[in-house]
Amino acid sequence: MDPKVLARIGNLELVSKAVVDGFINGLHKAPYFGASVDFAEHRGYVPGDDIRRMDWRVWARTDRYYIKEYEAESNMNFNVLLDVSKSMDYGGKGIKKIDYARIIAACLTSLVSHQRDRVGMAAFDSDIVEYVPPSAKHMETVLHVLDRLKPGRPGSLKEPLHKLAEHYGRRGILVLISDFYEDPETVIEAVKPLRFRGNDIMVIHVLDKDELDFGFADASPFEDLETGEQVPVVPDSLRKEYRAMVQAHIAALTQSFSKVGVDYAMFDTSQPLDYVLFRYLSARSRRLRKR
Amino acid sequence: MSFLAPLFFVALAGLAIPVLLHLTQKEKKEVVYFPSLMFVRKIPYQASRRRRIQHWFLLMLRLGALALIILAFARPLLTRPDAPVALGQGAREVVVLLDTSYSMGYGPRWAAATEAARGVVSRLGASDRASVVTFGSGTEILLRNTSEKSALNSAIASAKPGASATRYAPALKVAGSLLAESQLPRREVVLISDFQRSGWRGQEGTALPAGATLTPVPIQGTATQANLSVTAVSLQRSRFANQERVTVTAGITNRSESAVSNQPVTLEAGGLQVSSKTFSVDGGASTSVSFDPVTISGRNYKGTVRLGADALAADNAFHFVVSPSEPVRVTLVDRDSSATGLYLAQALAIGDSPKFESVTRQPENLSDDDLRRTSLVVLNDTPVSTPLARRLLKFVDQGGGMLVAAGARATWPRDVDLLPASIGNPVDRTRGEPARVGGVEYGHPVFETFRAPRSGDFLAVRVYGYRNLGPVIGAQVLARFDAGAPAVLERRVGAGRVLMWASTLDQTWTDLPIRPLFLPFIHRAATHLVAYVPSQPWSTVGQILDTSRAGAHKGQSVPTLVLTPSGTRLPVSGDGTEVIELAEQGFYELRGDANASSDVAVVASNVDPAEADLTPMDPGDVVAASTGESQSDAVQTAAAPQTPESRERSQRLWWYLLCLGAALLAAETFVSNRLKV
Repeated sequence: MDPKVLARIGNLELVSKAVVDGFINGLHKAPYFGASVDFAEHRGYVPGDDIRRMDWRVWARTDRYYIKEYEAESNMNFNVLLDVSKSMDYGGKGIKKIDYARIIAACLTSLVSHQRDRVGMAAFDSDIVEYVPPSAKHMETVLHVLDRLKPGRPGSLKEPLHKLAEHYGRRGILVLISDFYEDPETVIEAVKPLRFRGNDIMVIHVLDKDELDFGFADASPFEDLETGEQVPVVPDSLRKEYRAMVQAHIAALTQSFSKVGVDYAMFDTSQPLDYVLFRYLSARSRRLRKR
Repeated sequence: MSFLAPLFFVALAGLAIPVLLHLTQKEKKEVVYFPSLMFVRKIPYQASRRRRIQHWFLLMLRLGALALIILAFARPLLTRPDAPVALGQGAREVVVLLDTSYSMGYGPRWAAATEAARGVVSRLGASDRASVVTFGSGTEILLRNTSEKSALNSAIASAKPGASATRYAPALKVAGSLLAESQLPRREVVLISDFQRSGWRGQEGTALPAGATLTPVPIQGTATQANLSVTAVSLQRSRFANQERVTVTAGITNRSESAVSNQPVTLEAGGLQVSSKTFSVDGGASTSVSFDPVTISGRNYKGTVRLGADALAADNAFHFVVSPSEPVRVTLVDRDSSATGLYLAQALAIGDSPKFESVTRQPENLSDDDLRRTSLVVLNDTPVSTPLARRLLKFVDQGGGMLVAAGARATWPRDVDLLPASIGNPVDRTRGEPARVGGVEYGHPVFETFRAPRSGDFLAVRVYGYRNLGPVIGAQVLARFDAGAPAVLERRVGAGRVLMWASTLDQTWTDLPIRPLFLPFIHRAATHLVAYVPSQPWSTVGQILDTSRAGAHKGQSVPTLVLTPSGTRLPVSGDGTEVIELAEQGFYELRGDANASSDVAVVASNVDPAEADLTPMDPGDVVAASTGESQSDAVQTAAAPQTPESRERSQRLWWYLLCLGAALLAAETFVSNRLKV
């Protein structure tokens, strides 16, 4: 689905439903983070098993202890951590980064909520702006909060993420969406406390095509959205070096996240959202199977 | 040459546009708001002069592209003698899809199907062409694009029902690709099948090319003849008089509507009939039959449950292979065998899949014979001498597994590179808060079972002491203590693996052994280290046989030859990396040597029981999904007689001009990007 078309719809619930339905139809068997509530098989009880999972009906019929095994447990905590710093308020020729991130967050939340997992979210810039604790009933609250988020202040990662790590004590899935305009070492330091608590972290790096290609034609003064600093720039003479620096930044983030066992993917806002979800989640599913 | 629309040449005035753009484009000085100037260097602002034409080549490309596009719109027409054009309905390209799934063997269906296929061939005209494609779960093109009826009839005669299940989607895709390659004006697919509901899942991507028609030929008839099938067997192992036995219970389904009574069912084991029973079952119902226990006399013991003859023979036999359960031998190396290894030995004594058989040795008493017979060595807080370390290195390198618990007494010689980490000083956490285990790699096979909530929380384990471990290159840290020190590490060495736990496996330093997760942790670690894979008693036709999995048992050779149920010999590469699709029903024997009589492994292959369900579907569903029309609408569209306008259309000079113009525009884009214009 074209992100620009989706952005014009304006209703996040409708947008997420459109993307998620398309994604599920295209995927046939969605990876869904490896979780489901499907019953898999019975197996004999061995000491150490949780007796709450024992099938008493089978015991009543056969006088033997059997444990019910599922493909995977459900009711996982799923939280989106969304960067709403001013730099996310950029959209070159298409959708703004914040809107793209908003839709990704809504789609993933919708996808997970279908599995009856608990969903929550937090928005941050240099501090925590919004916090919705995870709950199976918070799907609409999350969408509502996502819908009215507006970037306004400069951002940083370390302080808000360290504060948020205190909130996420119970193991779950955290999806961090940001444009990561900080040094890779600082980014990793910011993410580490979340990882140590046993959370499974997915990092989505959102950039506009202009930020990747620097496809500006005319020499103009450039103004930093967060600091207001102005710099005169001749794009033709800067483009090659700029692209190399951005690619090096992405490569460094990829390598650093890989080292600490965090799934990382970079998307530019011109890519269709259902394709993005498909590619990212299926690649993630493959990686989880390999481990 | 003349032009059908010469007025378009007025647009040639537009050629001036690129020149004007080049000359009038001025610099802009509006402020550009950018998310971050983190990467933007400060460069002195340079005003650019009024632009001149600098890239003449680029300008020529743009002008040439526009000129060609205008020329194409003017519709040039080459006048030349008309080529002879065929009139009437035109020649046909026909693809005959012939269902060879095993359900086609039901009663007289196969004879009716081949008769229908021969009928299609007989109706072909002199200029028509046809292909014959057989399909089950896969497809095979027997003959492609020919008008020789004798060859087509021979191809149909050579086909016969196989052992696979029906899948329409792959066959329709092959038919679509055959039709897409054809230049003939009329294209048609004839689908001859019993149209079982189980073969159609409403797949996308089965659409035939535009204008193609699909003619279904249902071969169904009456399904009133008796049809019993063995759908599955369950194998219950037991021990009697120090021998392992298996009790076979067969599930039998009556697919017909009428009840049957006193039908025979036999159990064959090792090629001989060992038991026979009778059963009765109502129409459309299922029952189960249990046979007396059979002693498993050796590895790869073949068994077959067989029903009497009925209208569909393929689903009357069900094959399986059982082998005596082989315990995983574990050697616990422990200085003080009575106390410290208690929890470990007790944990290993529990469970049947797999069953662990452990022996305890003191380090100086660990012989080469012990290492030859064991699959896993556990060093439980034990000092290791250099000679023993070298023998353990050889053991792991050859495929053995090793679990190391680094307690207060553990030592390892520096000159033997085997462990995932060097053993450092002890860390005392008896004062204040005990250490916790976090940062667990839940994607790793050892910890995967603890991934879900309430499946064991390592954060609850208290560790009062541990050894500081320094990971070596190639080691993977699977869990860490809260201070950041590695808690569990793994390293691959040669064909084996070593797993290291930085504390004890008794209660000296940690309460791990009395936590509920201790037992599954030890079992997962042990099965992972010995690369234990539970054996499958049978597979289904269509599945892939991975020859590298065969011969995985210790001491077995790698298979170099696969003997199929029909007796075909398929050589496989010596490294056992090949995969083979199971296409037949019966036993596939994997042999290490062409001359050897003993098998490395035997795989039982059974037909898909879902195929035995002959419930038909509406062929119109397939037609609608493939052509977008209902069956009644799928009339053959006759080719329209050619008119002067259509003859003009065949003069596609304008089309080539347009393509050339587009190519020049693409080249312009490429060049301008390279020139940064």
